[in-house]
Amino acid sequence: MSERIIEIQSLTKKFGHFEAIKNVSFHVNQGDVYGFLGPNGAGKSTTIRCMLSLIKPDSGTIKIFGKSIFTDRNEILSRTGSIIEKPDFYKYLSAYKNLEIFSRLSRVSVGKKEIYKMLDFVGLGGREQDKFSSFSHGMKQRLGIAQTLLHNPDLIVLDEPTTGLDPQGIIDIRNLILRLKNEQHKTVILSSHNLAEIEIICNRMVIINKGVSVVEGDVKALMNNEDLVVRLEVSDKDKSKALIMSQYPNIHITDINETSIELPMEKSKISELNKDLVHAGIGIFSIEAKRKLEDYFIKMVNA
Amino acid sequence: MIFIKSIYNEVIKIALKPRSYLGIAAITVLVGVILFALKSDGMSVISFVTSSFEQTLSFEGNVLNGNLVAFIILQMLIVQIPLLIALVTGDLVSGEAAMGTIRMLLTQPISRTSLLLSKFIAGGIYTLIVIIWLGFMSVIMGKMLFGTGDLMVLNSDGLVILQEADVNWRYLGGFLVAFLALFTVSSLSICLSCFTDNSIGPIVTTMSIILLFTIIGTLDVHVFDSVRPFLLTTHMASWRSFFEDPLPIQDIKNSILILFIHNVLLISISIYVFNKKDITA
Repeated sequence: MSERIIEIQSLTKKFGHFEAIKNVSFHVNQGDVYGFLGPNGAGKSTTIRCMLSLIKPDSGTIKIFGKSIFTDRNEILSRTGSIIEKPDFYKYLSAYKNLEIFSRLSRVSVGKKEIYKMLDFVGLGGREQDKFSSFSHGMKQRLGIAQTLLHNPDLIVLDEPTTGLDPQGIIDIRNLILRLKNEQHKTVILSSHNLAEIEIICNRMVIINKGVSVVEGDVKALMNNEDLVVRLEVSDKDKSKALIMSQYPNIHITDINETSIELPMEKSKISELNKDLVHAGIGIFSIEAKRKLEDYFIKMVNA
Repeated sequence: MIFIKSIYNEVIKIALKPRSYLGIAAITVLVGVILFALKSDGMSVISFVTSSFEQTLSFEGNVLNGNLVAFIILQMLIVQIPLLIALVTGDLVSGEAAMGTIRMLLTQPISRTSLLLSKFIAGGIYTLIVIIWLGFMSVIMGKMLFGTGDLMVLNSDGLVILQEADVNWRYLGGFLVAFLALFTVSSLSICLSCFTDNSIGPIVTTMSIILLFTIIGTLDVHVFDSVRPFLLTTHMASWRSFFEDPLPIQDIKNSILILFIHNVLLISISIYVFNKKDITA
């Protein structure tokens, strides 16, 4: 069994009467790229801020590298690199100067050469002396990544790192995370409201909604391609429902509108269902299959 | 070691922030204007003061000398300096929150207390530089332009004439007490800065508090008698005590003690608030 890098137990935080997170629990193993998924305002950032001691939780425990963030904060943070929401640097300072300032506070000796090398690594070579205020959003994000990696941390926490990036920027960040996992065996926590992004990059994930951890586990298992929700748009809804119920008695059918219904179904049975409906003389206008978790997540986001 | 590096960081940040030079520039311009005015028509200002004594005293030698010019400058500017200090120090914590850099700083392996103390020390260094610059511009430039001589000071008790050889150490003492008073202004603005994420609020609030305390201090109303001795503004003028003869040592010690207590209280409150603060910005 892999070593547990992070263990969060029953984390709760209230802002006034608003309960931002309620009894959130999860764990992250060494080498995981762990997805932190949820719609905006779900409590992802609050949980991450608690983990990094930016916010003090009302109750619960946070153990990172086997130590409590409340008692061994500095030691934990010396082994952690993070970007929270967006990387904000000193606008009036250059990229180099900004990194130099933050590197002084890390417990690792970082020289001029390393800073230049890191800026080059994130694609900011040649822009070292340019002021942060002159950077585009993508460049700011890259500088944030450089700051995160500069002291060679064991744990990397990236809160919405691809927000506002262009498609190439998103791909670059994804590739960078995968390189960190595969080549340097880093543990990465990636917060996102984009399910596809989590599916591509992460091996484990937790879904948080309204401050509660809803689902946690292996991404492949949770994103099972066989377990689908099928939406049918048909000419005769009642006749279709009767036919489906006769063949699949325990199935739960949901009415969507006058012509559409939705039902859970295994991938292999969809073509058979299509054939049966056609044989029964029912016109099919459309069949749309979504994975269960995807469907659930979309409903959650829309709500 | 990280604490020392953090102090260095804070000093660098102040040094590279354009706003920090406003204070230095303002002092240069203001002192320059006063020096120019006194050089052009300084004797008329002096005769305005000496005229009431001319029946009993005769004034000889270089009355309008560098020592007097420096004293006039300090008296005129000491009211404006707190604003110049607060303009930089009031932004040290809340400015980081407004910019978002506070998140980055507080996820580094340095305790919040150390980080905050390094800001207080950096604020103190900035205050010291401003005071040294004010000293250079008033005392050194004053002496260079007007020469030197005995210092004639008009107090509430009357006219005090201090020998030329007896003046320099008084300036040094006066500047040290002025530094302590201005460091208290810096501590007040940093303390207010811990309560908000707005970078202008603490600057305006610091100046409002100084204005309010000044009004309370100057209003001759008995209801404020018990409060007045403890006000920061009462002791901001303590530098003037160094130009009294005999030196009111007890008053000076009292001012230093009260300013010191102010600093301890303000720094303690700041540490408590900053450590309790949730970083949601």
